[in-house]
Amino acid sequence: MTDDKDVLRDVWFGRIPTCFTLYQDEITEREAEPYYLLLPRVSYLTLVTDKVKKHFQKAMRQEDVSEIWFEYEGTPLKWHYPIGLLFDLLASSSALPWNITVHFKSFPEKDLLHCPSKDAVEAHFMSCMKEADALKHKSQVINEMQKKDHKQLWMGLQNDRFDQFWAINRKLMEYPPEENGFRYIPFRIYQTTTERPFIQKLFRPVAADGQLHTLGDLLKEVCPSAVTAEDGEKKNQVMIHGIEPMLETPLQWLSEHLSYPDNFLHISIVPQSTD
Amino acid sequence: MEDEFFGEKSFQHYCAEFIKHSQQIGDGWEWKTAKDCSDGYMCKTQFQIKNGTTTSHRGTPASVHTCLPTEENLELTVDDSEVMESAAASQVIKYEYHVVYSCSYQVPVLYFRASFLDGRPLALKDIWEGVHECYKTRLLQGPWDTITQQEHPILGQPFFVLHPCKTNEFMTAVLKNPQKINRNVNYITSWLSIMGPVVGLNLPLSYAKATSQDE
Repeated sequence: MTDDKDVLRDVWFGRIPTCFTLYQDEITEREAEPYYLLLPRVSYLTLVTDKVKKHFQKAMRQEDVSEIWFEYEGTPLKWHYPIGLLFDLLASSSALPWNITVHFKSFPEKDLLHCPSKDAVEAHFMSCMKEADALKHKSQVINEMQKKDHKQLWMGLQNDRFDQFWAINRKLMEYPPEENGFRYIPFRIYQTTTERPFIQKLFRPVAADGQLHTLGDLLKEVCPSAVTAEDGEKKNQVMIHGIEPMLETPLQWLSEHLSYPDNFLHISIVPQSTD
Repeated sequence: MEDEFFGEKSFQHYCAEFIKHSQQIGDGWEWKTAKDCSDGYMCKTQFQIKNGTTTSHRGTPASVHTCLPTEENLELTVDDSEVMESAAASQVIKYEYHVVYSCSYQVPVLYFRASFLDGRPLALKDIWEGVHECYKTRLLQGPWDTITQQEHPILGQPFFVLHPCKTNEFMTAVLKNPQKINRNVNYITSWLSIMGPVVGLNLPLSYAKATSQDE
């Protein structure tokens, strides 16, 4: 029987084989070969693509290089979304490797946030963590931590150090013994078919009668159109970290074990795969 | 969901009251419902002339009219002498201000973006230049966090955000006194009158009088 803690490791070490190709209109001085890389599902594009940037910049002139940005099948990729979320939402039904196009000019100002440095990724990551704890513990746990604990969370993510990260993150997964879970569950539900980038609402893990709410309960409440099957046929897949958890899974358990490092459950609703 | 310190229903109620007064004085605020109709936000578009030659200009030159929110009936009246002085260096900047509710922190959040009329967006450093000196120092100290770029939670586009993590603290102080003497306070009016001026958004005084008269 798999230990629950193994789930934490499996989530952390998930990888997506990716092929980076330079956009054909970029001006190069020599041929730029595609670059292959295993991307960590739980990290962020601009955090893990230094080698990609260096590889393509070698083929270009300095003056033709501006802020790097990534695109998949014409869609600019939001670096501030975890990599695994982007893949599940946009490319999970396509064959591997994930083919990403690299750009160095014409930054899409209306679609993407700028990422001037690693500090921007850290600021965004910490901001997500703080928001998650605001929902789970009214910010009490994260505010009680020292600055060095916050730093350790970030360094753990940046350097792919599971133990370093979870030494601190486990505190964010605790709750008072008299309760049955967090105050509210940090979650975001994404669908490519809506203009709204994601659905996020207040949702308790435990019902008034003490029953644990399930993933199915959450979807029925905040996103009913995504799961109700009018003709009995399943329209969509509900995906987290590339898998479809059973709708009967308690939301509290999902929050403790399948959250991303930012402590949010990032859930993708994608059309049912035909193969 | 239950109403907490400042629940979403309260937010929508105060925004509706605020917009009522805005309509009375032609201040341009309106409510936008999200496409899926589940919630919305309050917004206003404002056009300002940025004088390219000065470094210490204020966010809102007195001679610029606040325009109607739609670009089709854009009417920009500028004092002739202003035009002569600033010549080719002045540019029209379109500012959009959105008041969005954060259910995580249960407070309103001010999102804004600015662009030239040709659509080119202003960068963060340009935004910073438009912030008055006295606010700059305070911004860097708090209770406001500095201005950061974030994704608008309903539109999904990049906006700048002035999001203080200590809103509850200073708003509690702001609300406590009038409540003591049984005066009605519109949370949104009070909050926006504190946050807005930092990023060039000013509220005519009549908003304060409107609150205590209504209800």
